[in-house]
Amino acid sequence: MTHRSFAFASLVAAGLATGAVFSVNAQEWKTKPPTAADWAAMAKLPDFNGVWEAGRAPAAAPAAGRAGAGAAPPAGPARGGTAAAPTGRAGGGRAGGAPAGPQLTAAYAAKRQELAGRGAEDNDSANCLPPGMPGIMGQPYPMEFLLTPGKVTIVIEAYTQVRHIYTDGRPLPTDPDPKFFGTSVGKWDGDTLVVDTVGFSPQTMLAANTPHSEKMRISERFHLTAPDVMTIETTVTDPEALTAPWTSSRTLVRHRDWTVSEYICEENNRNYLDASGKAGVKLDK
Amino acid sequence: MIRRLSIPVTAVALAALVVGLTRPVAAHHSFAVFDMTKQQAIDGTVKKVDWTNPHVWVWVDVPTAAGGTETYGFEGMSPNYLARRGWSRTTLQTGMKVTVQYRPLKDGKPGGMLVSAKLPSGMLLTGGGAQQGQ
Repeated sequence: MTHRSFAFASLVAAGLATGAVFSVNAQEWKTKPPTAADWAAMAKLPDFNGVWEAGRAPAAAPAAGRAGAGAAPPAGPARGGTAAAPTGRAGGGRAGGAPAGPQLTAAYAAKRQELAGRGAEDNDSANCLPPGMPGIMGQPYPMEFLLTPGKVTIVIEAYTQVRHIYTDGRPLPTDPDPKFFGTSVGKWDGDTLVVDTVGFSPQTMLAANTPHSEKMRISERFHLTAPDVMTIETTVTDPEALTAPWTSSRTLVRHRDWTVSEYICEENNRNYLDASGKAGVKLDK
Repeated sequence: MIRRLSIPVTAVALAALVVGLTRPVAAHHSFAVFDMTKQQAIDGTVKKVDWTNPHVWVWVDVPTAAGGTETYGFEGMSPNYLARRGWSRTTLQTGMKVTVQYRPLKDGKPGGMLVSAKLPSGMLLTGGGAQQGQ
């Protein structure tokens, strides 16, 4: 055994010995193996499985869909078609104009102003750091929903990320470790999946240049508004950062002929943001 | 061989393209390194295509006044996004003649954000995918 591996083994042993002290409530939930009845019950849930991507210009969009898409692409799936019309329907519930942005408390408005004032030309995603919640749900790439007993998994193509939403009745952790996507539990309210998420990394932003506090919570309501159209109503609350809950709505369209692809941002990322906030590009890498 | 378009033409001709391009490209990073007030056109020969994430890079050899070539690098959308919209890994190949419209790099290095690449066949490749020529 090398010195290094011995040291590691010692750490593990120490950890095991003190495990009871350090156990976290979120880790105590024991997943039950699904029964045949659990699998059969899946058939009664709304049909969320499949590959979804943000729909475009919901309320005002004509049935033709995208601007400039006169000729069909020579190969591969075209967008629009059957998807475009129901997208408009799904967004019809929201009044015209852009959704209201987050209403910040004075302290957080000042934080936002300070961050914006630093003049960074880009954010850390230029260095391949994925956005956290709620930004990761608004990327222009597909997401695949997978429903299994006790869990909804969202495979996010952007930055090759994944969200784990536990629907097996476990409680939210009372003292969650901070994470980019937080810790999520979900339950079914009729045909609507209601997801509550807590515990967000201070590295992530509530919105552009807008930090959140440890008390941020995000609630999402997922439901189908047409066979291949899903609406997500997202409500962010944060008693320190927001003066009122911030609710927004997004529409996803299902693409039955798509699969989620890999997106390894470090594969050939020539963009960067340096420590001084200057954005650049490497042509000679 | 850089042809600089007049500002009004640039603004009008690009409005539609930018609508399609802004959101996707911005998903990974901002436009800070590009001069978004300018569009330039260049003719050359495809040297190489990096069909890679997070962005496709198209490398084009452009003739110089001295009789040699200079290689330009053009950043496009994610290959994932493009492949779903008709621009595949093999659409653009080494040796093809292309006319590229691009937003130049602010630092003056040879390259920029790819607005479109037009093939002799008339096929137009943009951030929104491939469209057959008229």
